[in-house]
Amino acid sequence: MIGAGGSPLRYLEFGDIVIYFSPYTLALFLLALVFTVLVIASKPERQLDIAFGADAFTTKDIGLSEMRFRRFMAIACGLASMGAMVTGDVFDFCLFTSLVGICNVGIVAAVKSRHVQGAAFQYGLVALAGTVPLFGGAAIVAATTGTLSLIELSSTLLPAVPLVVKGFLVLGVMGEGMAPFYAAKAEMFRAPGAPYVIMCSLSSLLIFLRVIEVVLQM
Amino acid sequence: MIIQRISRFISNFENLMPIFAAACAVLAGIAILSLPFVYTEDQLYPKNIDRESPLDPYDRGGPPFTQADIVLQYPENSPTAGFVTAYLTPFSWALANTTLHTGTTIVGHPGGILDEILYNTRGLDTVVETTILFIAFAIASYIFRKGSP
Amino acid sequence: MIGDQYSWGLLVVLGSAVIGFTALSLEKDDLHRLLLVDLVEIASIGIIALIGTDLAEALILPGLVVGIAEILALSQIYLMKEDLQDRPVRIPAIEVLQESPAPLILSTILIVYGIILSGFTGGAVAGLGALFFIAARSRSEDLHLLELASGLSWVLWIAAFFVFMFLPEYWYLALMGAAVGILIKVITKMSLMGVMWEAEP
Repeated sequence: MIGAGGSPLRYLEFGDIVIYFSPYTLALFLLALVFTVLVIASKPERQLDIAFGADAFTTKDIGLSEMRFRRFMAIACGLASMGAMVTGDVFDFCLFTSLVGICNVGIVAAVKSRHVQGAAFQYGLVALAGTVPLFGGAAIVAATTGTLSLIELSSTLLPAVPLVVKGFLVLGVMGEGMAPFYAAKAEMFRAPGAPYVIMCSLSSLLIFLRVIEVVLQM
Repeated sequence: MIIQRISRFISNFENLMPIFAAACAVLAGIAILSLPFVYTEDQLYPKNIDRESPLDPYDRGGPPFTQADIVLQYPENSPTAGFVTAYLTPFSWALANTTLHTGTTIVGHPGGILDEILYNTRGLDTVVETTILFIAFAIASYIFRKGSP
Repeated sequence: MIGDQYSWGLLVVLGSAVIGFTALSLEKDDLHRLLLVDLVEIASIGIIALIGTDLAEALILPGLVVGIAEILALSQIYLMKEDLQDRPVRIPAIEVLQESPAPLILSTILIVYGIILSGFTGGAVAGLGALFFIAARSRSEDLHLLELASGLSWVLWIAAFFVFMFLPEYWYLALMGAAVGILIKVITKMSLMGVMWEAEP
């Protein structure tokens, strides 16, 4: 098959779920891999509060257990986005995407700041509501075409997937990752700890890039 | 100007949920207007119901340790698919031989078509699903413990 | 024929999704939003169920679990956000919970029956027994052993998955590994919930 992201270079079979590496998915996979390695290797940065009008600043003190928990969540988020980049099954893609969503919530939920927690809660609600169009869309794909495999879906023999169902999938991914609405994520970025918070936006960018390929394939 | 106002509106995180829910409602409405959808008749793992069988809604295979015939996406990837479908634990085998109402008990025991799909042919789904559960529990128990030092 | 029925079913489910989402977009209170999101989740499970094959039943389980897991994490965040953490939780004064041998007998029955059932349902039944036993006791338990058991059973499940994928001739071993893994995992998770529910001294 020649999909939207070029013809696959390599397949990895897990029963009915076949993972494939096409030039497009491979590039996204490597990006996620490099960033996950960076998160594992790098030391967290401290947030500085600069006092206006005076030559003074304070460093926010963050507990070790909080940092360890957030690093764990960031690594899990990196692994989840790696999975979402290469999976070749619509439902499996939806599951990986919701995993990315809950990991994003976890990265910021551990922060002891009321403002950040409020943002994390609202964002978590959207991520949870996002699973409805996501799983619903995948289920309608299965009913209209009789398959969930992207490799089968790229063949022209199957009935076409309705346009609104593709919209469901894209809307669901937008809910999980907030991909085009970075303004909405600004509150979450108040959370200290440089490499971990950036994992949130990178993972949502990656899943948004991938869902475009998924939708074009159908 | 209008962009400024929109961006101010969506940057308030209290408004996130209403925007997203409204978008979902509109899209679901569009989906209702574009009905009916095609339904492909030859589905994977089709359901057939035999009211006479003791394993009524889930009777998909022959006796245990034979390979049942099931419709899966890539048969060449799962050469032993069908064995789990036909398997019954000794307890449920005895139950199936004595009563006509084993029925849904099979879902609670190892073996059967659902275990075949969940563990074998679509096992990766289940792995990701339990990972989501694991991450959610990790978040909940971390926050719970942080609240009580 | 089936196609017609499918579209009618979709009409009903999507209609309820529209109602649910409209309610969600109008609601202002955070707790009510959480409850409404849980309600809307049912629509997605309905859409999955409309496929009407065995595959649909196998896809409902992940869909359901994702919803439950995220609700659990979000309600914990809600408690912290609203500062409801330190409120003491009283165990309801039910007669069965007060009498000392009753919880032991009841939970033993539930656990034994759960182990006979095995698998996911068995785990839920046995976990209920463990939860009942822990809820009836007054002193708090050590969480670490339960968490260790839960983590190890997860590893057992993942190992079973790899046996299924790469050594398919040992399917029986993998089936039993997965069944025992999920049994222990569900028991421990449910008892963890029981411990978390219990009042802090």
